[in-house]
Amino acid sequence: MDAVTYPNLDVIQFIRGHVVPVRLPFDAKPEADNFNVKWTPTLIILDHNGGEHHRTTGFLAPEELVPMISLGIGKTHFEREEFTRAITSLDTLLKDYPRSDSAPEAIYYGAVSRYKSTHNPQPLKEAYEKLRAEHPSSEWTKRAAPYRLL
Amino acid sequence: MERKIEWETNLSAAISRAQGESKPVLLDFHNPN
Repeated sequence: MDAVTYPNLDVIQFIRGHVVPVRLPFDAKPEADNFNVKWTPTLIILDHNGGEHHRTTGFLAPEELVPMISLGIGKTHFEREEFTRAITSLDTLLKDYPRSDSAPEAIYYGAVSRYKSTHNPQPLKEAYEKLRAEHPSSEWTKRAAPYRLL
Repeated sequence: MERKIEWETNLSAAISRAQGESKPVLLDFHNPN
């Protein structure tokens, strides 16, 4: 991460604009125990009250780190029931990084956010169709499979 | 723009800053060795 990803200008700019970055050693006490950290790098997105909403373990290239953070921001808004803000974050991810590893989960949570804010099930069915077409091997396509029946 | 990320090194300080700036926190546990 230090050699490739964190020196990347797009990464620096994105982090500066969207999150407060904090870095701790893997054995920091009590934080490593509190967050059950067993391997590095472990990256966690917290809301501004310290609640966890998304995490990954292992190296991420610049073109995967930025959408991972965007997904975490979107899930933070989703889990705080800020659905309009969740949709905005997830749509931006899908516009800028449509082929990233975070894209399928962003499609899923974008659709769920739309459903939760409108109670219209159509976005769920559309999300399944989009996942099936663009990410047929994704676990999120499997998770959305029941929505094909809506 | 300076070519590095300005990391906080204290989680409580980062959360306080996040509250002030209305932003989420990116928490990175790393191996400094």
